[in-house]
Amino acid sequence: MKLQKSLTQNTDYIKSVLSSDDVTFLSLKIKETDAVLIFVNDLIDKNNVGELILRPMQEFSGAIEEKTLFQAFHSPEKKCVYTADEVVTDTLLGNALLLVDGLELAFSFGLKFFEKRAISEPPTSTVIKGPREGFVECLPVNVSLMRRRLKSPDLKFEYLTVGKYSKTPIALCYISTITDIKLVKNIKEKLKKIDIDAVLDSSYVSKLLVERKTSLFKQVGNTEKPDILAAKILEGRVAIFVDGSPIALSVPYLLVEDFQSASDYYNSPYSATAARSIRVLSVLFALFLPALYVAAELFHLQLIPLSFLLTIVNSIKGIPLSPSYEMFFTLMIFEILNEASVRMPKYVGMVVSIVGGLVLGETAVTAGIISAPTLMIVALSGICLYTVPELEQTFSVLRILFLIIAGATGLYGMLLAISALFIYLISFESFGSPVAAPFSPLIKEDLKDGFYKGFIQEMTYRPKSIKTTNKKRLGGQD
Amino acid sequence: MKLELKSRQVCLFIIAFFPIVKIFTAPSVLSSFASNDLWISTLIILAVDFIGLLAIVYAYKHTKSDLFALIENTLGKFWARTVFVLYFVFFFLKAIVPINEQKDYVELTLYTLMPSKLYFLPFFAVALYLCCKRLRVLGRAADVLWAFSVLGLIVLISLSIPNADYTAILPIGVNGFDGIFKASYSVLNWFCDLPYLMFFIGNFRLKKGDGVKIAISFLISVIMIVVFMITFYSVFTSIAYRQRFALTEISKYTAVINNIGRFDYLGIVLILVSNIFALSLPLFFACKILDKIFNITKKWISPIFVVGAQLVILLVFTRNFASIENFMKTYASAFFFIVGNILPLFLLALVKKEKKYAKNI
Repeated sequence: MKLQKSLTQNTDYIKSVLSSDDVTFLSLKIKETDAVLIFVNDLIDKNNVGELILRPMQEFSGAIEEKTLFQAFHSPEKKCVYTADEVVTDTLLGNALLLVDGLELAFSFGLKFFEKRAISEPPTSTVIKGPREGFVECLPVNVSLMRRRLKSPDLKFEYLTVGKYSKTPIALCYISTITDIKLVKNIKEKLKKIDIDAVLDSSYVSKLLVERKTSLFKQVGNTEKPDILAAKILEGRVAIFVDGSPIALSVPYLLVEDFQSASDYYNSPYSATAARSIRVLSVLFALFLPALYVAAELFHLQLIPLSFLLTIVNSIKGIPLSPSYEMFFTLMIFEILNEASVRMPKYVGMVVSIVGGLVLGETAVTAGIISAPTLMIVALSGICLYTVPELEQTFSVLRILFLIIAGATGLYGMLLAISALFIYLISFESFGSPVAAPFSPLIKEDLKDGFYKGFIQEMTYRPKSIKTTNKKRLGGQD
Repeated sequence: MKLELKSRQVCLFIIAFFPIVKIFTAPSVLSSFASNDLWISTLIILAVDFIGLLAIVYAYKHTKSDLFALIENTLGKFWARTVFVLYFVFFFLKAIVPINEQKDYVELTLYTLMPSKLYFLPFFAVALYLCCKRLRVLGRAADVLWAFSVLGLIVLISLSIPNADYTAILPIGVNGFDGIFKASYSVLNWFCDLPYLMFFIGNFRLKKGDGVKIAISFLISVIMIVVFMITFYSVFTSIAYRQRFALTEISKYTAVINNIGRFDYLGIVLILVSNIFALSLPLFFACKILDKIFNITKKWISPIFVVGAQLVILLVFTRNFASIENFMKTYASAFFFIVGNILPLFLLALVKKEKKYAKNI
C-alpha cells in the first residue's frame, strides 16, 4: 500500500500489521504538525533517537516538506520510503520510521543497536601464525571486517532480503574487476528465487543455492575467517554473508579448498606442502583403512605380510564377531562417542572421553569382544579424519559405505566403489567450476596451490579453475 | 558445438587406457603363437595402428565437424548411420572378451579364498554409471588415470626385472613370419583402439604441435606395452603361454615380496582402477552411437540396453566362453582389423571431400 497524506490512516494500517507489544508508536509534533515515530523497542539505540531525531525535530523551523525535513535530521543513515510495506520491513530490521501528517512518505533512520558477540578467534579454524579475527553473527561487523582487509573501490557489496518471516539481510561480496559478473547475476537470481519462511543461518542459503540437492558433497565453500575469505574473493569467488551467521559462504567451491589451511599461506611452502601431503594421506587412511583391513582379512590374506598376519591371527583369536561386524560396531561406537562429545555439557566431556575412549576400548579388547588391531585402526581413522575438519561429515559417511562394500565384496568391490565416486566427482561442477579441479580437469598452473604449495612468487595468475575477468594477480593487470 | 575435450586429455587418454587392456591375457595369447617374438607381433599391430592414427590426427586438424556430421556431410545420412551401426557392432563385440577375462581374473586371482562371479557383477553398475556421462568425463578421467597406469606398470615391471632373463627374447624371428603374423592377428580384439580416437573428432581443437604430442603419446603407450611384453616373456620364457593372467604372475616371484607382502598388489590395484574405465570404453562409445543413430535424448536408455546385454552375455555364455574367445581370435579378428584399422584411413578422403564441398559453397 502506498503511504497516504493522512497520518491517522497510515498509522492505523501499520498498527494493524505491527500489532506487537515491543513495537512503539510514539506520537510527536513537529512545530504544529502531528508525527509518529515507529520503532522496535529492543532493536534501537534510544540515545541516538533523542540526539539524531527528537532534538532536530524540536529545533526545526522550516516548512513541513520532504526536502527540508530530510536535511534537518542528523542521522548518517537515512532514507525516504513510500509504501507501508517498506515501513513495516524497515521497522523490523531495526530502523526508526517517522511518519508526518500531510506527507506521503516516511523517513527511515538506521539506528540499530543490539548486543553482539565480540570478534574472536573462530574455534573451527585456529592458527598458530596469522590473523585470529573471526566473523560474528552481525552482518555490518562482518562487512567492516572485509572492508578493512580490501580497501578497494572495486570491492562491492549487494544486499538482498530473504525469508518470508525472518527477512534476513544477505550481502553478496565480490571484486567487480576480478569476478565474472555472470556468476554474480546467477547467484543473485538464485537468491531471489528462494522462497522460505526463515533463513536462520548461512547453511540454509548454501543448501538452497546448490544444483545437486541430494549430493553428499559440499557445493558451497565456507569460512569463519576474514583473511581466508579475502583470499577467496581475490581468486574471483563471490562471498555471501548472512545476517545472524558467523560463517560466510563462497562460490564456486573446489574440493581442494578444504585441504588448504590459512596457515599454509603464512608458513614456508615446504612445511605447507608437507602439511597438505599429510592431510591427503590422512584422508586416504581415514576413508580406506578400515575397509581395506576388513577386505584383506576376509578375502585377500595374501595382501598382508606373513609376520603381520601372524600378529593379527593372534589378536583375533576368540573374537566372536566377523571382521566386518567387528569393524562396523567399533566404528559405530566411535561415531556415538563423537556425537556425544559434541553435544554434551563441557563439564562431563572429560568423563565421557575417559570412559568411552579408554575404559570402554581397553575393556572391550581385554574381554575379547573386539581385537586390538581393529581398535587401533578405528582410532587412527577417526583422528585422521579431523585433519580436514570441513569434510569430516562427508568422509565419515563414505567410510561406513566403503566398509560395508569391502565386507560384502572385498577389494574389487572397493575399487569399483572408488571408481564410481571418482566418476561422480569429476562430472560434478559448482557454479561452472569443476569441483575436482585442478586435478581433473588437469590445470597445470593451478597445481601450484593444490596438494603442493608453490612459492608466492610463482603464483602469477589467479586459479584458472574459476572464471575471472582479470587473470593476473602478481605483477600488474593482464 | 561445445568442445568436450582438450588436446592434452586426448594424449593422456592414449597413455592411460591403450596399454591397460592388453596386459591381462593378450601376452599369453601372443606368446602361444610367437613365443619369444611376441614383442614383434605387438609392434606390427601398433605400427599399423600408427598409420591409422596419422589419418585421425589429419582429421582432427582439418575438420570441425564430429564424426557423424563428417560422414553425413560427405556421404549422406544413410552412410553415416551405416558406418555408425558398424562401429556399434565393433564396440559391442570388442567389449565381450576383455570383460569376461576381467571376471575370470577377479574370480581366480583376487578371490582365491572364495571365488564367485558375484564379486565382479557390480562392475556393470559402474559401467552403466559411466556410460550415462558425457564425453568430457572420459577426458577428465584420463587426466588422473594416466598416472595410475604408468605408475602401476612401473611397479610391476620393476618388481619383475630381478627375475627376468632378457636374453630369452633372442634369437629374433625364430618362429618365422607365420607365427608372428598369426599372433598379431589373434590379439586384434585387445588392440584396435583407434576407433575411440575417431569419436573425438570435432570435440576438441588441435593447436599447433598438438598432432606431434598425440603421436608421442601413442609412442609412449607402445613403449609401455612392448616393455611389458618383453619382461613378461623374459620372466616365464618357454612357459609364458601358460600364464593366462600375466598381470598377477609377472611380479609375484620377486624376493622382496617374501619380506613385505604382496607389494606388487599396489601396482595391480592402480592398473585395475584404470582397467575399470578401459573396459567400459567400448560400452561407452556403443551407447553414444546408439544415442546418435536413434536420436535418444534420455541418457540412461542406451546404457541400460548396452550394459544389460553385456551382462546377459556374461551370465549366459560363461560355459561357452572358450568358443566365444576362439571366435574373436579367428573370424572376428578380420572384422576388427577392417573396422579398427582400415576404415579410419578413409577419414583422409572424407575430410578432403568435406573441404572441397566447403570451398564450393
